[in-house]
Amino acid sequence: MERDKVKTKEKSRKYIFLTVWLALIALILVGILLLWPPGEKHETIKEVMKDGVLHEHNKMSFFGLEVNPGLISAYMVTVILLIAAVLIRIFAIPKFKTVPGKFQSVIEMLVGFFSDMAHANSHHKPRFVGAYIFSAGVYIFTSTLFELLGIQWMTTSGVSMALPAPLSDINAAIAMGVMSYTIILGAGMICGGFRGALGVLKDFSLPISMSFRLFGALLSGLLVTELVYYYVSLSFVLPVIVGVLFTLIHAVVQTYVLATLVSIFYGEAVEPKSKKVKNKKAKR
Amino acid sequence: MPLNIDYLQILLHMLNFVILAGGLTFILYNPVNRFLEQRRDQYAEAEKRNRKAAEENEKLRTEYEQKLQDSDIEIAERKKIAEKEWADISARYIREAKEKASAIILAAEEEAEDRKEHILESAQTEIGELVVTATQKLLSDTVTPERNSALYDEFIRLAEGTVSEKRTKHGKK
Repeated sequence: MERDKVKTKEKSRKYIFLTVWLALIALILVGILLLWPPGEKHETIKEVMKDGVLHEHNKMSFFGLEVNPGLISAYMVTVILLIAAVLIRIFAIPKFKTVPGKFQSVIEMLVGFFSDMAHANSHHKPRFVGAYIFSAGVYIFTSTLFELLGIQWMTTSGVSMALPAPLSDINAAIAMGVMSYTIILGAGMICGGFRGALGVLKDFSLPISMSFRLFGALLSGLLVTELVYYYVSLSFVLPVIVGVLFTLIHAVVQTYVLATLVSIFYGEAVEPKSKKVKNKKAKR
Repeated sequence: MPLNIDYLQILLHMLNFVILAGGLTFILYNPVNRFLEQRRDQYAEAEKRNRKAAEENEKLRTEYEQKLQDSDIEIAERKKIAEKEWADISARYIREAKEKASAIILAAEEEAEDRKEHILESAQTEIGELVVTATQKLLSDTVTPERNSALYDEFIRLAEGTVSEKRTKHGKK
Protein backbone atom coordinates (compact mmCIF):
# COMPACT_ATOMS: atom_id res chain seq x y z
CA MET A 1 0.00 0.00 0.00
CA GLU A 2 2.71 2.44 0.99
CA ARG A 3 4.72 1.55 -2.12
CA ASP A 4 1.74 2.19 -4.39
CA LYS A 5 1.17 5.60 -2.84
CA VAL A 6 4.82 6.52 -3.33
CA LYS A 7 4.69 5.37 -6.98
CA THR A 8 1.54 7.40 -7.70
CA LYS A 9 3.09 10.50 -6.15
CA GLU A 10 6.21 10.07 -8.27
CA LYS A 11 4.14 9.71 -11.43
CA SER A 12 2.09 12.83 -10.75
CA ARG A 13 5.29 14.78 -10.05
CA LYS A 14 6.68 13.62 -13.39
CA TYR A 15 3.57 14.77 -15.23
CA ILE A 16 3.60 18.16 -13.53
CA PHE A 17 7.26 18.63 -14.38
CA LEU A 18 6.70 17.67 -18.03
CA THR A 19 3.74 20.02 -18.39
CA VAL A 20 5.55 22.95 -16.85
CA TRP A 21 8.61 22.26 -19.00
CA LEU A 22 6.66 22.09 -22.25
CA ALA A 23 4.61 25.18 -21.39
CA LEU A 24 7.79 27.08 -20.66
CA ILE A 25 9.32 26.09 -24.00
CA ALA A 26 6.15 27.03 -25.83
CA LEU A 27 5.99 30.44 -24.13
CA ILE A 28 9.62 31.19 -24.95
CA LEU A 29 9.08 30.13 -28.58
CA VAL A 30 6.02 32.37 -28.89
CA GLY A 31 8.01 35.27 -27.46
CA ILE A 32 10.90 34.65 -29.87
CA LEU A 33 8.58 34.44 -32.87
CA LEU A 34 6.71 37.58 -31.88
CA LEU A 35 9.97 39.52 -31.61
CA TRP A 36 11.54 37.91 -34.71
CA PRO A 37 12.35 40.56 -37.31
CA PRO A 38 10.20 40.14 -40.42
CA GLY A 39 12.05 38.32 -43.17
CA GLU A 40 12.29 39.40 -46.74
CA LYS A 41 8.93 39.06 -48.42
CA HIS A 42 8.60 38.77 -52.12
CA GLU A 43 5.38 40.73 -52.02
CA THR A 44 3.74 43.24 -49.73
CA ILE A 45 0.41 42.36 -48.12
CA LYS A 46 -1.27 44.66 -50.62
CA GLU A 47 0.25 42.76 -53.51
CA VAL A 48 -0.60 39.41 -51.94
CA MET A 49 -4.24 40.40 -51.46
CA LYS A 50 -4.49 41.90 -54.93
CA ASP A 51 -2.98 38.78 -56.44
CA GLY A 52 -5.35 36.67 -54.36
CA VAL A 53 -8.24 38.45 -56.08
CA LEU A 54 -6.93 38.91 -59.60
CA HIS A 55 -4.18 36.27 -59.99
CA GLU A 56 -2.23 38.60 -62.26
CA HIS A 57 1.29 37.58 -61.26
CA ASN A 58 1.29 34.07 -59.82
CA LYS A 59 0.39 31.92 -62.79
CA MET A 60 0.84 28.19 -63.08
CA SER A 61 1.50 25.98 -66.04
CA PHE A 62 -1.33 23.73 -67.23
CA PHE A 63 -0.08 21.64 -70.17
CA GLY A 64 2.06 24.60 -71.24
CA LEU A 65 -0.74 27.11 -70.77
CA GLU A 66 -0.39 29.83 -68.14
CA VAL A 67 -3.45 29.60 -65.92
CA ASN A 68 -4.61 30.77 -62.51
CA PRO A 69 -3.74 28.47 -59.58
CA GLY A 70 -7.43 27.84 -59.08
CA LEU A 71 -7.60 25.77 -62.27
CA ILE A 72 -4.85 23.45 -61.08
CA SER A 73 -6.71 23.12 -57.78
CA ALA A 74 -9.95 22.39 -59.63
CA TYR A 75 -8.45 19.53 -61.64
CA MET A 76 -6.72 18.19 -58.57
CA VAL A 77 -10.00 18.20 -56.65
CA THR A 78 -11.68 16.40 -59.55
CA VAL A 79 -8.98 13.73 -59.61
CA ILE A 80 -9.21 13.24 -55.84
CA LEU A 81 -13.01 13.06 -55.93
CA LEU A 82 -13.12 10.64 -58.86
CA ILE A 83 -10.55 8.34 -57.27
CA ALA A 84 -12.52 8.41 -54.02
CA ALA A 85 -15.76 7.72 -55.93
CA VAL A 86 -14.21 4.78 -57.79
CA LEU A 87 -12.87 3.31 -54.54
CA ILE A 88 -16.27 3.69 -52.88
CA ARG A 89 -17.96 2.18 -55.93
CA ILE A 90 -15.64 -0.85 -55.97
CA PHE A 91 -15.16 -1.54 -52.29
CA ALA A 92 -18.09 -0.03 -50.41
CA ILE A 93 -21.24 0.02 -52.54
CA PRO A 94 -21.33 -3.74 -53.31
CA LYS A 95 -21.22 -4.37 -49.54
CA PHE A 96 -24.13 -2.06 -48.77
CA LYS A 97 -26.61 -3.62 -46.36
CA THR A 98 -30.25 -2.95 -45.65
CA VAL A 99 -29.28 -1.85 -42.14
CA PRO A 100 -26.42 0.54 -42.85
CA GLY A 101 -23.10 0.83 -41.03
CA LYS A 102 -21.39 4.13 -40.20
CA PHE A 103 -19.69 4.69 -43.56
CA GLN A 104 -22.73 3.57 -45.52
CA SER A 105 -24.87 5.94 -43.46
CA VAL A 106 -22.61 8.87 -44.36
CA ILE A 107 -22.75 8.05 -48.10
CA GLU A 108 -26.50 7.48 -47.98
CA MET A 109 -27.01 10.71 -46.05
CA LEU A 110 -24.93 12.63 -48.60
CA VAL A 111 -26.77 11.26 -51.63
CA GLY A 112 -30.13 11.28 -49.87
CA PHE A 113 -29.73 14.93 -48.84
CA PHE A 114 -29.32 16.17 -52.43
CA SER A 115 -31.83 13.71 -53.84
CA ASP A 116 -34.45 14.76 -51.29
CA MET A 117 -33.69 18.43 -51.93
CA ALA A 118 -34.21 17.89 -55.67
CA HIS A 119 -37.47 16.03 -55.07
CA ALA A 120 -38.70 18.67 -52.61
CA ASN A 121 -37.99 21.66 -54.85
CA SER A 122 -38.66 20.15 -58.23
CA HIS A 123 -41.73 17.96 -58.60
CA HIS A 124 -41.02 17.27 -62.28
CA LYS A 125 -37.94 15.40 -63.49
CA PRO A 126 -35.98 15.74 -60.25
CA ARG A 127 -33.46 12.98 -61.02
CA PHE A 128 -31.32 15.10 -63.32
CA VAL A 129 -31.16 18.11 -61.05
CA GLY A 130 -30.51 15.77 -58.11
CA ALA A 131 -27.40 14.42 -59.82
CA TYR A 132 -26.32 17.95 -60.78
CA ILE A 133 -26.67 19.50 -57.34
CA PHE A 134 -25.02 16.43 -55.81
CA SER A 135 -21.99 16.91 -58.05
CA ALA A 136 -21.95 20.68 -57.59
CA GLY A 137 -22.39 20.35 -53.83
CA VAL A 138 -19.63 17.79 -53.44
CA TYR A 139 -17.36 19.87 -55.68
CA ILE A 140 -17.97 23.16 -53.85
CA PHE A 141 -17.62 21.55 -50.41
CA THR A 142 -14.46 19.62 -51.23
CA SER A 143 -12.81 22.39 -53.22
CA THR A 144 -13.44 24.87 -50.42
CA LEU A 145 -11.84 22.54 -47.89
CA PHE A 146 -9.04 21.86 -50.38
CA GLU A 147 -7.27 25.11 -49.47
CA LEU A 148 -6.77 23.74 -45.94
CA LEU A 149 -4.40 21.11 -47.32
CA GLY A 150 -1.98 23.83 -48.38
CA ILE A 151 -0.52 21.77 -51.22
CA GLN A 152 2.51 23.58 -52.56
CA TRP A 153 2.79 24.12 -56.32
CA MET A 154 5.37 25.93 -58.38
CA THR A 155 4.34 29.07 -60.22
CA THR A 156 5.72 29.95 -63.62
CA SER A 157 7.91 32.53 -61.93
CA GLY A 158 9.50 29.74 -59.88
CA VAL A 159 7.90 30.66 -56.56
CA SER A 160 6.21 27.93 -54.57
CA MET A 161 2.74 28.75 -53.34
CA ALA A 162 -0.11 26.91 -51.66
CA LEU A 163 -2.92 25.94 -54.01
CA PRO A 164 -6.04 28.00 -53.25
CA ALA A 165 -9.68 26.95 -53.31
CA PRO A 166 -10.68 26.64 -56.99
CA LEU A 167 -13.78 28.78 -56.53
CA SER A 168 -11.72 31.67 -55.20
CA ASP A 169 -10.79 32.08 -58.87
CA ILE A 170 -13.46 34.19 -60.52
CA ASN A 171 -13.27 32.06 -63.67
CA ALA A 172 -14.29 28.94 -61.70
CA ALA A 173 -17.14 30.80 -60.02
CA ILE A 174 -18.35 32.15 -63.38
CA ALA A 175 -18.12 28.66 -64.89
CA MET A 176 -20.21 27.25 -62.06
CA GLY A 177 -22.80 30.04 -62.27
CA VAL A 178 -23.08 29.87 -66.06
CA MET A 179 -23.36 26.06 -66.04
CA SER A 180 -26.08 26.14 -63.39
CA TYR A 181 -27.99 28.73 -65.38
CA THR A 182 -27.51 26.76 -68.59
CA ILE A 183 -28.90 23.67 -66.91
CA ILE A 184 -31.95 25.59 -65.69
CA LEU A 185 -32.43 27.28 -69.09
CA GLY A 186 -32.04 23.97 -70.95
CA ALA A 187 -34.52 22.23 -68.66
CA GLY A 188 -36.96 25.12 -69.12
CA MET A 189 -36.66 24.87 -72.91
CA ILE A 190 -37.02 21.09 -72.97
CA CYS A 191 -40.00 20.98 -70.62
CA GLY A 192 -41.75 24.28 -71.41
CA GLY A 193 -40.63 25.03 -74.97
CA PHE A 194 -40.22 28.65 -75.94
CA ARG A 195 -42.44 29.86 -73.12
CA GLY A 196 -40.39 27.92 -70.59
CA ALA A 197 -37.18 29.41 -71.97
CA LEU A 198 -38.66 32.91 -71.74
CA GLY A 199 -39.59 32.26 -68.14
CA VAL A 200 -35.98 31.41 -67.34
CA LEU A 201 -34.51 34.19 -69.47
CA LYS A 202 -36.24 36.85 -67.39
CA ASP A 203 -34.01 35.73 -64.48
CA PHE A 204 -30.90 36.69 -66.45
CA SER A 205 -29.33 38.05 -63.28
CA LEU A 206 -29.19 34.53 -61.90
CA PRO A 207 -25.82 33.45 -63.36
CA ILE A 208 -24.23 36.72 -62.29
CA SER A 209 -25.59 36.49 -58.77
CA MET A 210 -24.63 32.81 -58.49
CA SER A 211 -21.12 33.42 -59.80
CA PHE A 212 -20.35 36.45 -57.70
CA ARG A 213 -21.93 35.00 -54.57
CA LEU A 214 -19.65 31.99 -54.83
CA PHE A 215 -16.65 34.10 -55.78
CA GLY A 216 -17.24 36.63 -53.03
CA ALA A 217 -17.76 34.04 -50.34
CA LEU A 218 -14.73 31.99 -51.28
CA LEU A 219 -12.56 35.01 -51.94
CA SER A 220 -13.32 36.50 -48.54
CA GLY A 221 -12.13 33.26 -46.95
CA LEU A 222 -9.01 33.32 -49.08
CA LEU A 223 -8.21 36.94 -48.23
CA VAL A 224 -8.67 36.42 -44.52
CA THR A 225 -6.43 33.34 -44.65
CA GLU A 226 -3.79 35.22 -46.69
CA LEU A 227 -3.89 38.09 -44.22
CA VAL A 228 -3.52 35.81 -41.24
CA TYR A 229 -0.69 33.79 -42.72
CA TYR A 230 1.19 36.85 -43.94
CA TYR A 231 2.09 37.82 -40.39
CA VAL A 232 4.00 35.22 -38.37
CA SER A 233 2.61 36.55 -35.12
CA LEU A 234 -0.92 35.72 -36.24
CA SER A 235 0.03 32.17 -37.20
CA PHE A 236 -0.68 30.68 -33.76
CA VAL A 237 -4.10 29.41 -32.75
CA LEU A 238 -5.86 32.00 -34.93
CA PRO A 239 -5.53 30.00 -38.19
CA VAL A 240 -7.34 27.13 -36.49
CA ILE A 241 -10.38 29.34 -36.01
CA VAL A 242 -10.06 31.48 -39.12
CA GLY A 243 -8.82 28.79 -41.46
CA VAL A 244 -10.67 25.68 -40.42
CA LEU A 245 -13.90 27.00 -38.96
CA PHE A 246 -14.44 29.81 -41.47
CA THR A 247 -13.57 27.54 -44.37
CA LEU A 248 -15.80 24.80 -43.07
CA ILE A 249 -18.71 27.19 -42.60
CA HIS A 250 -18.09 28.67 -46.04
CA ALA A 251 -18.04 25.21 -47.55
CA VAL A 252 -21.30 24.14 -45.94
CA VAL A 253 -23.14 27.42 -46.54
CA GLN A 254 -22.08 27.83 -50.19
CA THR A 255 -22.87 24.20 -50.98
CA TYR A 256 -26.31 24.54 -49.44
CA VAL A 257 -27.05 27.89 -51.08
CA LEU A 258 -26.06 26.84 -54.61
CA ALA A 259 -27.82 23.48 -54.37
CA THR A 260 -31.00 25.09 -53.04
CA LEU A 261 -31.02 27.88 -55.62
CA VAL A 262 -30.40 25.55 -58.55
CA SER A 263 -33.06 23.08 -57.44
CA ILE A 264 -35.64 25.81 -56.82
CA PHE A 265 -35.05 27.57 -60.16
CA TYR A 266 -34.93 24.22 -61.96
CA GLY A 267 -38.21 23.23 -60.29
CA GLU A 268 -39.81 26.48 -61.48
CA ALA A 269 -38.43 26.03 -65.00
CA VAL A 270 -39.65 22.45 -65.50
CA GLU A 271 -43.01 22.98 -63.83
CA PRO A 272 -45.75 22.42 -66.42
CA LYS A 273 -47.34 25.75 -67.32
CA SER A 274 -51.10 25.73 -66.93
CA LYS A 275 -52.93 27.12 -69.96
CA LYS A 276 -54.91 30.26 -69.38
CA VAL A 277 -58.59 29.58 -69.42
CA LYS A 278 -60.54 32.33 -71.05
CA ASN A 279 -63.61 33.23 -69.17
CA LYS A 280 -66.39 33.21 -71.65
CA LYS A 281 -69.74 34.50 -70.83
CA ALA A 282 -72.18 31.75 -70.45
CA LYS A 283 -74.71 31.64 -73.20
CA ARG A 284 -78.13 32.38 -72.09
CA MET B 1 -10.51 41.52 -69.30
CA PRO B 2 -11.45 43.14 -66.01
CA LEU B 3 -11.02 41.01 -62.86
CA ASN B 4 -8.73 38.74 -64.87
CA ILE B 5 -11.67 36.96 -66.44
CA ASP B 6 -10.43 34.51 -69.05
CA TYR B 7 -12.90 32.71 -71.32
CA LEU B 8 -10.53 29.86 -72.01
CA GLN B 9 -10.08 29.23 -68.31
CA ILE B 10 -13.83 29.42 -67.80
CA LEU B 11 -14.21 26.71 -70.43
CA LEU B 12 -11.47 24.66 -68.80
CA HIS B 13 -13.29 24.97 -65.48
CA MET B 14 -16.50 23.91 -67.21
CA LEU B 15 -14.79 20.91 -68.77
CA ASN B 16 -13.41 19.98 -65.37
CA PHE B 17 -16.82 20.19 -63.76
CA VAL B 18 -18.56 18.29 -66.56
CA ILE B 19 -16.04 15.46 -66.20
CA LEU B 20 -16.49 15.49 -62.42
CA ALA B 21 -20.29 15.69 -62.57
CA GLY B 22 -20.53 12.84 -65.09
CA GLY B 23 -18.10 10.68 -63.15
CA LEU B 24 -19.73 11.31 -59.79
CA THR B 25 -23.20 10.73 -61.21
CA PHE B 26 -22.37 7.41 -62.86
CA ILE B 27 -19.91 6.10 -60.28
CA LEU B 28 -21.49 7.27 -57.03
CA TYR B 29 -24.83 9.08 -57.23
CA ASN B 30 -26.77 6.68 -59.45
CA PRO B 31 -25.72 3.40 -57.75
CA VAL B 32 -26.33 4.79 -54.26
CA ASN B 33 -29.61 6.37 -55.33
CA ARG B 34 -30.66 3.09 -56.96
CA PHE B 35 -29.82 1.24 -53.76
CA LEU B 36 -31.81 3.77 -51.71
CA GLU B 37 -34.78 3.47 -54.06
CA GLN B 38 -34.65 -0.32 -53.96
CA ARG B 39 -34.57 -0.26 -50.19
CA ARG B 40 -37.40 2.29 -50.12
CA ASP B 41 -39.40 0.02 -52.42
CA GLN B 42 -38.61 -2.96 -50.20
CA TYR B 43 -39.83 -1.07 -47.16
CA ALA B 44 -42.91 0.12 -49.04
CA GLU B 45 -43.58 -3.46 -50.13
CA ALA B 46 -43.08 -4.74 -46.59
CA GLU B 47 -45.36 -2.02 -45.26
CA LYS B 48 -47.97 -2.91 -47.85
CA ARG B 49 -47.70 -6.59 -46.88
CA ASN B 50 -47.94 -5.73 -43.21
CA ARG B 51 -50.94 -3.52 -43.80
CA LYS B 52 -52.61 -6.27 -45.79
CA ALA B 53 -51.79 -8.82 -43.09
CA ALA B 54 -53.13 -6.44 -40.46
CA GLU B 55 -56.32 -5.99 -42.46
CA GLU B 56 -56.68 -9.78 -42.81
CA ASN B 57 -56.02 -10.20 -39.11
CA GLU B 58 -58.64 -7.58 -38.33
CA LYS B 59 -61.07 -9.35 -40.63
CA LEU B 60 -60.33 -12.71 -38.99
CA ARG B 61 -60.67 -11.16 -35.55
CA THR B 62 -64.06 -9.73 -36.48
CA GLU B 63 -65.10 -13.11 -37.87
CA TYR B 64 -63.93 -14.89 -34.73
CA GLU B 65 -65.68 -12.38 -32.52
CA GLN B 66 -68.85 -12.88 -34.53
CA LYS B 67 -68.45 -16.64 -34.26
CA LEU B 68 -67.86 -16.34 -30.54
CA GLN B 69 -70.97 -14.23 -30.18
CA ASP B 70 -72.96 -16.77 -32.25
CA SER B 71 -71.61 -19.67 -30.23
CA ASP B 72 -72.44 -17.81 -26.98
CA ILE B 73 -75.99 -17.38 -28.19
CA GLU B 74 -76.14 -21.04 -29.26
CA ILE B 75 -74.71 -22.16 -25.95
CA ALA B 76 -77.30 -20.09 -24.09
CA GLU B 77 -80.11 -21.58 -26.19
CA ARG B 78 -78.82 -25.12 -25.71
CA LYS B 79 -78.45 -24.44 -22.00
CA LYS B 80 -82.05 -23.32 -21.85
CA ILE B 81 -83.20 -26.46 -23.69
CA ALA B 82 -81.05 -28.69 -21.47
CA GLU B 83 -82.36 -27.02 -18.34
CA LYS B 84 -85.91 -27.54 -19.53
CA GLU B 85 -85.20 -31.18 -20.41
CA TRP B 86 -83.53 -31.67 -17.06
CA ALA B 87 -86.47 -30.11 -15.27
CA ASP B 88 -88.88 -32.41 -17.16
CA ILE B 89 -86.79 -35.51 -16.43
CA SER B 90 -86.37 -34.66 -12.77
CA ALA B 91 -90.09 -33.95 -12.46
CA ARG B 92 -90.86 -37.28 -14.11
CA TYR B 93 -88.40 -39.10 -11.83
CA ILE B 94 -89.89 -37.45 -8.77
CA ARG B 95 -93.39 -38.36 -9.87
CA GLU B 96 -92.41 -41.95 -10.57
CA ALA B 97 -90.55 -42.17 -7.29
CA LYS B 98 -93.56 -40.86 -5.44
CA GLU B 99 -95.79 -43.41 -7.17
CA LYS B 100 -93.38 -46.22 -6.38
CA ALA B 101 -93.08 -45.07 -2.81
CA SER B 102 -96.84 -44.96 -2.31
CA ALA B 103 -97.16 -48.49 -3.85
CA ILE B 104 -94.41 -49.78 -1.59
CA ILE B 105 -96.04 -48.20 1.45
CA LEU B 106 -99.41 -49.70 0.53
CA ALA B 107 -97.89 -53.15 0.03
CA ALA B 108 -95.98 -52.82 3.29
CA GLU B 109 -99.14 -51.82 5.15
CA GLU B 110 -101.00 -54.83 3.73
CA GLU B 111 -98.18 -57.17 4.62
CA ALA B 112 -97.96 -55.69 8.09
CA GLU B 113 -101.70 -56.21 8.57
CA ASP B 114 -101.43 -59.85 7.42
CA ARG B 115 -98.49 -60.47 9.72
CA LYS B 116 -100.36 -58.86 12.60
CA GLU B 117 -103.32 -61.14 12.07
CA HIS B 118 -101.10 -64.20 11.78
CA ILE B 119 -99.26 -63.24 14.94
CA LEU B 120 -102.51 -62.67 16.79
CA GLU B 121 -103.81 -66.06 15.65
CA SER B 122 -100.74 -67.92 16.71
CA ALA B 123 -100.64 -65.98 19.98
CA GLN B 124 -104.19 -66.88 20.76
CA THR B 125 -103.50 -70.61 20.11
CA GLU B 126 -100.41 -70.47 22.27
CA ILE B 127 -102.26 -68.57 25.00
CA GLY B 128 -105.05 -71.15 24.88
CA GLU B 129 -102.59 -74.02 25.19
CA LEU B 130 -100.83 -72.27 28.03
CA VAL B 131 -104.10 -71.65 29.83
CA VAL B 132 -105.07 -75.31 29.40
CA THR B 133 -101.74 -76.48 30.62
CA ALA B 134 -101.80 -74.13 33.56
CA THR B 135 -105.36 -75.06 34.45
CA GLN B 136 -104.49 -78.75 34.15
CA LYS B 137 -101.64 -78.23 36.52
CA LEU B 138 -103.79 -76.28 38.95
CA LEU B 139 -106.72 -78.60 38.87
CA SER B 140 -105.03 -82.00 38.47
CA ASP B 141 -105.09 -82.66 42.18
CA THR B 142 -108.51 -81.27 43.10
CA VAL B 143 -110.72 -81.96 40.09
CA THR B 144 -112.68 -85.14 39.84
CA PRO B 145 -113.22 -86.98 36.55
CA GLU B 146 -116.78 -85.60 36.36
CA ARG B 147 -115.68 -82.14 37.07
CA ASN B 148 -112.90 -82.59 34.57
CA SER B 149 -115.18 -83.58 31.71
CA ALA B 150 -117.51 -80.66 32.49
CA LEU B 151 -114.58 -78.23 32.24
CA TYR B 152 -113.50 -79.69 28.88
CA ASP B 153 -116.95 -79.25 27.52
CA GLU B 154 -117.08 -75.65 28.65
CA PHE B 155 -113.69 -74.93 27.11
CA ILE B 156 -114.63 -76.41 23.76
CA ARG B 157 -117.78 -74.37 23.66
CA LEU B 158 -115.93 -71.15 24.45
CA ALA B 159 -113.27 -71.92 21.85
CA GLU B 160 -115.80 -72.58 19.15
CA GLY B 161 -117.56 -69.32 19.93
CA THR B 162 -114.33 -67.29 19.61
CA VAL B 163 -113.34 -68.88 16.27
CA SER B 164 -116.76 -68.27 14.70
CA GLU B 165 -116.64 -64.62 15.85
CA LYS B 166 -113.23 -64.07 14.18
CA ARG B 167 -114.32 -65.65 10.94
CA THR B 168 -117.29 -63.34 10.82
CA LYS B 169 -114.98 -60.31 11.27
CA HIS B 170 -112.58 -61.51 8.61
CA GLY B 171 -115.38 -62.16 6.13
CA LYS B 172 -116.60 -58.58 6.55
CA LYS B 173 -113.20 -57.19 5.60
